[in-house]
Amino acid sequence: MNDVAIKVKGLHKSYMMGRSRLQVLRGLSFDIPAGQFAAIVGASGSGKSTLLHLIGLLDTPDKGEILLDGTAVGEISAGRRNRIRCRDIGFVFQFYHLLGELSILENVLLPAKVDCPILAWPGRRKAARLKAEELLDSLGLADRRKHRPGELSGGEQQRVALARALANRPRVLLADEPTGNLDSKTGGRIMEVLARFHREYNQTVLMVTHDASLAGTADRVLHLADGRLT
Amino acid sequence: MYKLFLCLRYLRSRIIAYFAVLAVALCVAMMLIVISVMNGFLDKIEQAAKGLFGDIVVASGSLSGLGRYDEFMAEVRREVPEVEASSPFILTFSLLSIPDQPYRQMLQVAGIRLPQRAEVTDFKKGLFAQAGLDAPTFDPPISLLREKLDAHTEQLKAIYKNQLDQRDPADLPGDVKDTLRRLEVAWSMQADAAAVLRGAESYQDRLKDLGEKLAAAEASAHGLYSDEAVELAEELDELVEAAQYQAPNNRAILGLGIPGLILRTEQGQTVRYISPGDQIVLSILPLSSKLSAADMTPNVMRLTVVDDCRTDVSSIDSAIVYVPFETLQRMNNMGAEYDGDDPDLQVIPPRCSQIHLKVSPEYCGEEALREVCKKVQAVWYDFRRRYGDAVEPGVNVSIETWRQRQAKVIGPIQQQRTLVVIMFGIISLVSVVLIFVIFYTIVVQKTRDIGVLKAVGASSGGVAQVFLAWGGAVGLVGSMLGTIGGYYFVRYINPIQDALDTWFGFRVWSREWFLFEKIPNTVDPATAAIIAAGAILAGLIGATVPAIRAARMQPVEALRYE
Repeated sequence: MNDVAIKVKGLHKSYMMGRSRLQVLRGLSFDIPAGQFAAIVGASGSGKSTLLHLIGLLDTPDKGEILLDGTAVGEISAGRRNRIRCRDIGFVFQFYHLLGELSILENVLLPAKVDCPILAWPGRRKAARLKAEELLDSLGLADRRKHRPGELSGGEQQRVALARALANRPRVLLADEPTGNLDSKTGGRIMEVLARFHREYNQTVLMVTHDASLAGTADRVLHLADGRLT
Repeated sequence: MYKLFLCLRYLRSRIIAYFAVLAVALCVAMMLIVISVMNGFLDKIEQAAKGLFGDIVVASGSLSGLGRYDEFMAEVRREVPEVEASSPFILTFSLLSIPDQPYRQMLQVAGIRLPQRAEVTDFKKGLFAQAGLDAPTFDPPISLLREKLDAHTEQLKAIYKNQLDQRDPADLPGDVKDTLRRLEVAWSMQADAAAVLRGAESYQDRLKDLGEKLAAAEASAHGLYSDEAVELAEELDELVEAAQYQAPNNRAILGLGIPGLILRTEQGQTVRYISPGDQIVLSILPLSSKLSAADMTPNVMRLTVVDDCRTDVSSIDSAIVYVPFETLQRMNNMGAEYDGDDPDLQVIPPRCSQIHLKVSPEYCGEEALREVCKKVQAVWYDFRRRYGDAVEPGVNVSIETWRQRQAKVIGPIQQQRTLVVIMFGIISLVSVVLIFVIFYTIVVQKTRDIGVLKAVGASSGGVAQVFLAWGGAVGLVGSMLGTIGGYYFVRYINPIQDALDTWFGFRVWSREWFLFEKIPNTVDPATAAIIAAGAILAGLIGATVPAIRAARMQPVEALRYE
């Protein structure tokens, strides 16, 4: 394993807003060592989420390079990007983004199912289910397995989203304002869980938040303003 | 794994998917019903045409007919081994009447040879008394006729009882009273017919017995003027009437459906007024190309009904009487004509109007049958060259397959079927459009889910497959339900129509308008499979564009979608 989990070099990203082009990231460069809990703090519109999406391979930069475990992801095939997203990266979103038609357990099993061909599933089903149940138990959601997301509170939904992000034991966990939609007490609990899993699995965690107080939980804080680190 | 999982989950948990399934099922059922009924309709017409004419028809273009038909048939059988059986046929018009009743009906009369005709066509299939017999004749055993007639009378009684049982006898509606009255008439007429059959059965014994009694009466004191002798003479009259039945040439087989000779109940049962044993009178104007109308005098003949026959094509069954070939030949002046000076010199041979040929089943394909037809034509040309009296000079003789002969009837129906299938096919496109709209809406609604799926590593192809499989599943489930529903609808289409008629007085398929007694109710498995496959394809096509849209969606944009 590479010592540097995430390496960002001269990253540029812009979007079209109507007829004008909005420059979101302007030549961003930094490294996140493996196993570090890093927080990126910045005001709304500073480009935090965009940066996270680029690192999470959900978007592509205009310029610059991202290396995950030493691999330049800009040059790899779409299939390999999908595999990395599935196995090596876990995503937690501000608005949870759970699938409403699936139960809590099924939502947590989703990454395992995406990673498994149909014929191999009967062989892996039991282990995946056990792992998902363990995760839910450890997050205090044991009695919520069969519920639908709509039946859960915001904090519970975010814990489910966290369980889903961790289902495949990814090396990198990306959290986009994980407490942004929660009250401070619930948000604090989510942060505790994030820190616990970071300790237990020695995961690299990159969290973006506009709340400087939450960033205090992190090993390292990066400040982003106008598309640059300050 | 997630593709199948999500596809099944979306199928189960989205109400809108049920509407898509319902739309597909209705379209499949509709197509299956329309095509099955139209195909059945066409098939029945074809079968009826084939059943009536055999595989190949040799027909004279003139009223004078075809002479030397027996020699020609023998030659065809010799020269064209594909021809299995042959039978001559005369078709003309006649006035049908019932003795001692004011009944009159114009219809066609067909002169046929039995049992040969049963070998050429499927004539025997629809016989009432001789059903199931390999070689039906105009002279069936009287015991068989009695047995069938008795059974039919029992059936009539059951219908009568049923009509009464359903209602309060004191308060019968007018139409039921009318039906009961008609049933009573039929009952009484059947009893008369049964008496005739019984009389005919004991004819020989009674004749002998009567002869002895008459001789005894003659020898008695009062001789032939005694009361006893008068009674015996009356009995003799009855016997003479029964004797009509004894001449095998004076027989007739009725088409089952001649107006006024049968009664059809609400439930579609047929009750006979005229049944085996009854007598009819045919008045035939011999048609000839030489005679003028002023020269024509009708030939009248009294015939005993021995059976009836249904082809299930009501236009045929309601207007035909079959009589022995030689009988009609004589009545229609188509028998041999002899020289005025030399009564032994035959100047014109006996004639028929058509010859029907049966071809081995392996040559009954359209192409093969045409080839056989050409061979028959070759035999005819040679035959005509050798026998100048086979047909009048200048008369055209057509030799055609049954399909060619019926082209004018079958062609428009085939076109009608194609047109209807196209029209309903266009209507079925609605299901494609509906699936498209539903799936497009679903894809838009599911934009965030698509983003999440991609965020957890699902490929664009995988996301597209979820929606394609969903579309295919909607098509599959819809087509299965539609096929089952359509199959049972077609299967029970006649009871359904009867129920509609009973409850609402609504009858789509009128026996008077259409040719057949019943709506065709068979489903061709191949047709059902093609329609079902088409529905699955429609589901896939309808889901393709939404699936492509889902696949192309950028995960970031999908996740940001509000």
